[in-house]
Amino acid sequence: MADSTTFPSEEWFGALADVMSEQRGLFEPLGAIDCTMVVQLEEPEDQELIEVKFKSYGVDSVRSLKSIEEAAPEHFTITATLETWREMIDNIILNGRPDLEHTLNFLTFPDEPMIVDGPDQLHIDAFFRYNQSLQLFFNGAAKVASE
Amino acid sequence: MTKYSETVEKGIDGMRQMAMGNFDLGWMDSNPEGWGQEVERSADGLRITDIEKGHYAKVPEHGSSHGSMAPRGCFVPEETPGLDQYFLNEMSEVWAENAGALYDEAVVRQWNSVTDIPWDKLEKLPDDIEKSVCQMCTGLTEVEFVAGDMPAQWLHRINHDFHEVKLFLATQIMDEARHLDVFRKRALANGGGLLSASPGNEELLGAILTANDYTTASALMHIFGEGFVLTLFRQGEFLAPTEVEKTIFRMCMQDEARHVAYGVKHLQYLLERHPEREKEIHKILDLGEQAIFSLTIEPQTSEPRAILAGGGIENIELGMARMAFIYQKQVKEYLSRLKIAGLDRESRVTIPLEIPDLGIAA
Repeated sequence: MADSTTFPSEEWFGALADVMSEQRGLFEPLGAIDCTMVVQLEEPEDQELIEVKFKSYGVDSVRSLKSIEEAAPEHFTITATLETWREMIDNIILNGRPDLEHTLNFLTFPDEPMIVDGPDQLHIDAFFRYNQSLQLFFNGAAKVASE
Repeated sequence: MTKYSETVEKGIDGMRQMAMGNFDLGWMDSNPEGWGQEVERSADGLRITDIEKGHYAKVPEHGSSHGSMAPRGCFVPEETPGLDQYFLNEMSEVWAENAGALYDEAVVRQWNSVTDIPWDKLEKLPDDIEKSVCQMCTGLTEVEFVAGDMPAQWLHRINHDFHEVKLFLATQIMDEARHLDVFRKRALANGGGLLSASPGNEELLGAILTANDYTTASALMHIFGEGFVLTLFRQGEFLAPTEVEKTIFRMCMQDEARHVAYGVKHLQYLLERHPEREKEIHKILDLGEQAIFSLTIEPQTSEPRAILAGGGIENIELGMARMAFIYQKQVKEYLSRLKIAGLDRESRVTIPLEIPDLGIAA
């Protein structure tokens, strides 16, 4: 059964959302965030999808999707294998933040091992527009792991 | 004989009248349509998009003919003099549906190069790496403020009824000032300094500044130029040797993406109303594409990035190969943004969609 330590799960992202809410003071100077991110796990036999909707300085909703067609139209996706996701999260947990080679931008820029995509370039651009906030959101993994 | 000018004497008379209790108070009921505005604050605070409702949200297709600085939605007395300064009076010439929202986003996402960059984490780098970082910063210091100069060149010509656009462009000017400042700081802060300017850059910068009208300048700068630079910022974060450059590029990336978002939505707004202008937009993009391609082959532009991508001058060839995909990414994103704006350019783009095989392995 999934819990806040299981990635990927609604519970894990819910726990990150709680950290974001507790740490609102860290997010406010970065500015409000208004976008929908779909985290996609790419495995040969499995394509797990979790949609995280950001609004203002927090998370509006987290939900598992059966297919990408269920996602809000204005989304972007970040896709990687479970191994890559785990490596990024473990690195964040180890250092409290990612080292230079495990930031979201570092991992996605060459389109491997992670790729950012979506149906509309302007919504993909939201990943760049809110990048610092999204990074801080994932950095919450360190706090989730320590609790 | 009066002691003061006629204007001053009139003012003193007026004050005397008021002192005797003779007030006008006509201004209190001057704008009944605009009175009683109901505003609901969003969770983020009070945004410009929260207040521009009802009477105040009516943006005229043709900006005010009085040509004054009177704010949109107020009562404008007949005798208000026009300033004869504004010639961008058509909404379609400047408007973007997201201008107000982007302004709100920009004002809360301001940062500064004095305290928001972890300068204490600068560390001594090998000479070839420091020189490459400094050259990259020299180039960015050179190009960044065109995106300040260009809006500044048009800002005071935009009708005041389109204040959302004016406000957004003002944030862009500040963003670009910060970019110029932060890249110059990085070049000078770690024992290095500025290196070589780029004649190739100047060609593109000149085309932006001398464009015939605001929309063509915007298409060239906001979508083409800033779109390409956005990818370079992402690359800068990717190649950054320390937390300092990482932070700089991440913060700049966010700013640049806002500018691109305005450019795309503005072009979309214009083309929906004036499809006949497609031709001139294509023409200026032809110019931009040629300029950026000649820039790509300038040593001071491409070599420092290749050194950083390879991890040192001894691996510059490997770095070059590793960078080949960036160009492809830039062109793909550029064409996708134009498509959203309503401009199909895939069939007439004047540069290759990807760099031909250079015969080097990544």
